[in-house]
Amino acid sequence: MRWFKSIFSRRSQYDDLSLSIQEHLEEKIEDLVEEGMSRAEATNLARREFGNVTLIEERGREVWQWSPLENLAADLRFAWRQTAKSPRFTIAAVATLAIGMGAQATIYSVVHAVLIDPFPYLDALRMVHLHLYDKTPIPFDLAMTGPQFLEFQKLPVLDGAIAEDLFGRALTGEELPEQVQTARLSPDGFAFFGVPALLGREFGPGDNAHVAVLSYPFWKAHYAARSDIVGKTLQLDHENYTILGVLPQRFAWMGSDLYTPLSYSADPHRIANVYARLKVGVSDRTAEEAIGPMLAAFAKQTPDSFPPNFKVHLVHINELLVGRMRGVLILLSISVSFLLLLACANVAILLLARGEARQAEIALRKALGARPGRIVTQLLTESLLLSITGGICGVLLALAGIRLVRHFLVPLPGLFPPEANIALNLPVLLFGAVLSVFTGVACGIWPALRTARTDLRRAADAGSHKLAGRKGTHNSHIALLAGQAAITVLLLACSGATLQKLSQLMHANLGYDPHHLISANLVSLEGGHPTWGDRIHYFEQIRQAIALEPGVMSAAIAQAGMPPSSGSRMPVSVPGADSVGGEADQQRVDLNYFRTLKIPVLQGRVWSSTEVMNAAHLALINQAMQRRFWPHTDPIGKTVVMNRGVVPANVWTLVAPGIDQHFQIIGVVGDTPNQGLEEQIAPSVFVPYTAITYDWFNLIVRTEGEPTAALLHRIKERVHTIDAGQAVGDMVTADDMLEGDSLGREKFITSLFTAFALLGLMFGVSGLYCIESYLVTQRTRELGVRIALGAQRQHIVRLVTRSSLLAVFAGTAIGLALDLGLSGIFVRWTSGNPRDPGMLVVVLAVVLASAGLGSIVPAQLAAWIDPMEALRAE
Amino acid sequence: MGNNPEFRDLFPGALEMMILHSLRLKPMHGYALVKHIKQVSDNLLQIEEGSLYPALQRMLKEGWVQSKPGVSAKGRPTRIYVLTPAGRRRLEQEISSFDKMFAGITRVLATAKT
Repeated sequence: MRWFKSIFSRRSQYDDLSLSIQEHLEEKIEDLVEEGMSRAEATNLARREFGNVTLIEERGREVWQWSPLENLAADLRFAWRQTAKSPRFTIAAVATLAIGMGAQATIYSVVHAVLIDPFPYLDALRMVHLHLYDKTPIPFDLAMTGPQFLEFQKLPVLDGAIAEDLFGRALTGEELPEQVQTARLSPDGFAFFGVPALLGREFGPGDNAHVAVLSYPFWKAHYAARSDIVGKTLQLDHENYTILGVLPQRFAWMGSDLYTPLSYSADPHRIANVYARLKVGVSDRTAEEAIGPMLAAFAKQTPDSFPPNFKVHLVHINELLVGRMRGVLILLSISVSFLLLLACANVAILLLARGEARQAEIALRKALGARPGRIVTQLLTESLLLSITGGICGVLLALAGIRLVRHFLVPLPGLFPPEANIALNLPVLLFGAVLSVFTGVACGIWPALRTARTDLRRAADAGSHKLAGRKGTHNSHIALLAGQAAITVLLLACSGATLQKLSQLMHANLGYDPHHLISANLVSLEGGHPTWGDRIHYFEQIRQAIALEPGVMSAAIAQAGMPPSSGSRMPVSVPGADSVGGEADQQRVDLNYFRTLKIPVLQGRVWSSTEVMNAAHLALINQAMQRRFWPHTDPIGKTVVMNRGVVPANVWTLVAPGIDQHFQIIGVVGDTPNQGLEEQIAPSVFVPYTAITYDWFNLIVRTEGEPTAALLHRIKERVHTIDAGQAVGDMVTADDMLEGDSLGREKFITSLFTAFALLGLMFGVSGLYCIESYLVTQRTRELGVRIALGAQRQHIVRLVTRSSLLAVFAGTAIGLALDLGLSGIFVRWTSGNPRDPGMLVVVLAVVLASAGLGSIVPAQLAAWIDPMEALRAE
Repeated sequence: MGNNPEFRDLFPGALEMMILHSLRLKPMHGYALVKHIKQVSDNLLQIEEGSLYPALQRMLKEGWVQSKPGVSAKGRPTRIYVLTPAGRRRLEQEISSFDKMFAGITRVLATAKT
């Protein structure tokens, strides 16, 4: 209340203060006059001994103010008048900052959605998956039986765990069965995730086994988001399930379409995967030590589901699901920060130039008793006003940017975890606010400090000595320009590297013909075709029927998808080869695979139909395998040992009778990418898919022309005639798959890097332009004199552009050095080679050409100064 | 803040203490206060006259002194500063803490001599 009252009584306090001081001075003067001084002398002495009256009054008044806030209000009013007075400057600065901050906020929204808060689940950061390692670096997923899981769940280091079992099932009861991805989840699984249902409810331990909870996308696609769906029935593999509820959009665990309760089974052939959440404060190491002995005991009960001598390793789900994009996103954040830095440098250049123009004002303020700190605060308020306005515009730009990113991501469902929600949300807005303030200080502090150093003498000098600007300011300009050039080079190099990589990928030799090729996943009814012979005949029957369809050239069976997807990586050894051990990618296919994909058989032969149906121990290898193990000898007839080539059979996996790990090589085929497009091709061993048959396979079909919707429908119908309950999964063309899998990712990354680089270049050029124009206007009189005295125009041009261009050269050199120095980081986090000489030459050419372009206008301006006018202008 | 006059005196608070003490003798206006302090200290303490006023404003705000309209020695209307009970308490605190500090410094200096 006292504070409140003080605001109103302040005016009289101020008057009292002035009065007291006035009275003090007069009394002192009178005293001095009485001592015999003249009135003039007395006045001088009294004033000198008293000190700066204005300053003291102000200091006295400050006592009554809540000064930071009131100063701020005054500064804001003043800053507003300043910015309104020079709209061109304001628009340029605000637009620059808005673009910089908009880009930054856009990328931050992606970073926030993907790296910081990717999952809606309760304490997702403590959620882990368990990997088991034997001596090789290829992990096994931990899976266990029902009773084992119930015991595991009770471990004191864990704060809950779920068992789950993912597989495709047929949604039956409609015209054609449709394949849906289902997850069987522990009955108390939803409590583990802690995400409430959007509609209806989730299942709990009290529910029976025939209930289902739908995912949001499935609900939208299949039931048109109808809210009366709760309580209805759906049919999976001819069994009825009651729909209990619908999950919110961000609940996308494992990308399943629907979730049903898992009934725990003691059958060692019915094992389920396990995810757990660690208790608060339990380190990974502690948890691993606690879990290890229990798993060792389990391994004694069910030796088939554990590798020999394993070690447990926890993987946090964000590592598991975000993994490969982390580096790219970090790199993108760095690039976009560089972009913002460029924007800041540009605004700093503008502010410096303006500070120069305001020397007289600043000097006057100081002469009137303003402290340097106060002036810096006021100048900072101006840059903060700019940056906050820029920040608000930047958030609007980010809104557009986020839409653009989301648009880009539509065809790339696998790029980020499906739970990630890229949006302009509160954290992004907060980030934007903090960024605005930070940016305001970053671009304003240096110009403010420089400008505040002005004093009256220097300001007075400036009028008569207007030559090349102040030395200090000039150096600041040079430093800012060099910095801009360096950053621009770095941004362009990043963009160049990703562009080059993209073009390589787009023109890469795939080793197979992706046109007119489609692939579909077929899952047989659970429990159907339970014997090995029965199952492979069923699969073969479907393949043959499709191969005979009109419009189909050939059809093949493969366990993995089309290249560049990988098969199962496993350790292999080769008795007697030059290099005895290593890893290879095992691809299980049939004999039609090579013909259908048009992969050339370079040596030897393909299996006969009988050999495939009997799961003969005969293998084909790719060229990479030949190079690795038989670089100088003929591999045909040699033996390769697939160390995990034998797996225990279970309900889903059937194993050929008499299988062992030894395969004899009968042919060599051309290389196709098998680790993703951007990775090197790994050694591959192709074995008959019949050796180990899952309850699903991929049907790969080459069509005669473009695969039409009618043809795809005919294929589904044909499968339906063989088994009415057999669903056909999504049919994907190889072209789309390549686009979505690898090329789309590269295109996404490349366009972002390139957009940043181009914006950066734009900022750099405009920075150069500003500095040179500023120099020209500052030196107009000097240049006019030079021209009047007979200086050549080209000499004038050189004079104006020399130091700026030198700064650009120096900056470019620094940028180049940084690029070479930092390329290791780039290579580790994304693909592409930022040190490629050809690309760097292009980058340099672009930078220098742009610098030249940016200098043309100011140089022209300088060269055509009219000496008469220039001299008259002062 | 190097040229800020109120920090030029001996230590922070010294000026305040002297003002409070002077006002305890009798209510005074600003010029009289300066003259009083200069006289009593035999001009040993150089204080910038102006620095008195911000200090007085602070004390007004804290409620240690009050200002009243009055008349100066020369018969001019002016502001007279009067010590309040709160100001009196404050002065006592200041003096006792100053005494302690001074005693401490004296002891340290005494040991340094021997």
